[in-house]
Amino acid sequence: MDNNDVVLTPQESLQLIESMINRAKDKFAENGQLYLLWGWMVFACSLLQFILLHFFHSPYHYTVWMLSWVLAVYQIWYMRKTKGKQKVRTYTDYIISYVWLTFIIVIFLIAYLIGRLTTGEYYSHINPIVLAMYGMPVFLSGIILRFRPLIIGGIGCWILCILTTFITNYEYQFLMIPLAMIIAWIIPGYLLRARYKEENS
Amino acid sequence: MVFKELDPILHSQLRLAVISLLISVKEAEFTFIKEKTNASAGNLSVQVNKLKEAGYIDVVKQFKDNYPQTTCKITPAGVTAFEKYVKNLQTYLHR
Repeated sequence: MDNNDVVLTPQESLQLIESMINRAKDKFAENGQLYLLWGWMVFACSLLQFILLHFFHSPYHYTVWMLSWVLAVYQIWYMRKTKGKQKVRTYTDYIISYVWLTFIIVIFLIAYLIGRLTTGEYYSHINPIVLAMYGMPVFLSGIILRFRPLIIGGIGCWILCILTTFITNYEYQFLMIPLAMIIAWIIPGYLLRARYKEENS
Repeated sequence: MVFKELDPILHSQLRLAVISLLISVKEAEFTFIKEKTNASAGNLSVQVNKLKEAGYIDVVKQFKDNYPQTTCKITPAGVTAFEKYVKNLQTYLHR
C-alpha cells in the first residue's frame, strides 16, 4: 500500500475503511493464562483451608492465603513482560483490565467492611459474598469477549452463592470456592487457551 | 445533492488506512500498523507524520528493553475528522 498517487473513489474509500476495521478486530488476545493461574491458586488454597479447618481444626487456616501475595508479585512481572510484547491495545483489552481492577478493589473493600462492620461469626458470611463477587468479572468478561463459557461460569458462581447460604455447617461452605474456580476460571481458562492457540497459530 | 469536499489529509490510501485502523483500537504500535497496511516503513513514517501534524493522531516514541517503540493513538480531532470524512463520502454514494 505504498502508492500515494492513487485517487480513491468513494466506494474504494469505504471498502478500505471496512477492511482496515476488520483487520484490527481479527486478533483474539486473551490466552487464559491469568484465569488458569489464579483459578488453580484459589482452588488449592481454599481446599487446603478446608482441610486445615475441618480435619486439623487449625486456628490459622486462613494463612494459606498468604500465597496470593506471591502470585500477585508474579502477575505484576508477567503483565509487565507481556505489555512490552503487545503490539496493539484494543478497547476490549482496556475495558476488561478495568473490570478486573474494579473487582480487586471491591473485594478488598468487602474484606475490610466484613472485618470492620460485622461482629460474631463474620466468617460464615465470607463465602457467599466472595462467590457473588467472583461471578461479576467473569460474567462481564464473557459478555465483552463474547465467550460463552465465561458467561456460564459467572452465572454458576451466583448459583453457588445462593446454594452456599443453605449450607448450615460453614466449614463445608469452603468447598464451594474450589467448585466455583473449576466452573468459572479453570474450565474457561483452558477453553480460552485453546481458542487463542487456534486463532494465533 | 451537494458534494462535500473530502478532507485531503484523509483522502489518501495509506493515511485513510492508518486512521481506519486506529479508530477501532485504543492504541497500536508502528510495527502493527505496518503489518496490517503492508506499507513500507519509510512511507508509513511519512504518512504518520502528516497525520500527526494535522493533529489527527498522537505519536509516542519510547524505548522498551533497548528497542525504540512508536505507539500511535487517534486524537478526538482525528475521530471528528474521520466521522466528517465518512459523512461527506455518503453524499457521493447516494446518487
